Amino acid sequence: MRGPVPALLVMHADLAAALLRAASQVYGPVEGVEVLSNDGQSRDQLEQQIARRVERWTDGGLVLTDFWGGSCHLSGMAAARGHGDIVIVTGLNLPTLVDYLHNRDQYPPLELAERLRAKGRDSIRLHHALPA
Amino acid sequence: MSWLLERVDDRLIHGQVVVAWGGRLHPGRIWVVDDAAAQSPWERDLLTSAAPGVEVRVVTVAEAAAGYAAEATAQGGAFLLLRDLESALALVEAGAGIRTLTLGGLHYAPGKTKVNEYVYLDAADRGRARRLLERGVSLEVQDVPASRPQPLTALDPEMAAP
Repeated sequence: MRGPVPALLVMHADLAAALLRAASQVYGPVEGVEVLSNDGQSRDQLEQQIARRVERWTDGGLVLTDFWGGSCHLSGMAAARGHGDIVIVTGLNLPTLVDYLHNRDQYPPLELAERLRAKGRDSIRLHHALPA
Repeated sequence: MSWLLERVDDRLIHGQVVVAWGGRLHPGRIWVVDDAAAQSPWERDLLTSAAPGVEVRVVTVAEAAAGYAAEATAQGGAFLLLRDLESALALVEAGAGIRTLTLGGLHYAPGKTKVNEYVYLDAADRGRARRLLERGVSLEVQDVPASRPQPLTALDPEMAAP
């Protein structure tokens, strides 16, 4: 039986830390999730920062980023290269992060990532309040 | 004129390019001009997948110089992205008729001094910047379309005209 899939949040500005703080209000205290900002970092610098963290993962993990095509995503891809079963998930939001916390010891990395994608898509809904 | 943005940024394709500039100018193509990336199939694949809906070409400086004039008259609009002032100068010296380069992100590394929050230069960078200016290329510092472009010569005391 494997332990929880580790995760690293890599996002713009203070989003990763803020998202984790928000998640801990909904979920409770969170352990084992690291956060990183791309503030002021070149792609190579950010890649090194991510690599330093993911290379400690012995059985894969998830790099959770804010959007596709951003430096967090591209540096994450470059850092994950050659470090085993690592999946980059882009477009992370609060419902998705909370779902990760609930399920990180239930699935291997790729299955967990696919679950988060479905959860993320389902989490954006419209509720149109018509004028009275 | 098909070149919509010609930018020097050590992140090449990233959020400001895809979301801020891309969302404003809607390029049909993005040329990533970088010898190392062009010669790495893995890096090429990564960059071509980075901007959904936009054709990304990852080319060497020589290939970009050869294709520059044709793209300038092509339909659809294009972005040109360079990693550093070294490749920017090489591209201009190879014949690309660039008029304005936007300095959008040259991050801190040892030996570089601060121009503003996202541009740091060392002596070699400033030498290349001077050669670009001598060739008639304007150097504008600007990260996103909503911020005001500022000439490097006005922003960096070490680049001020003598």
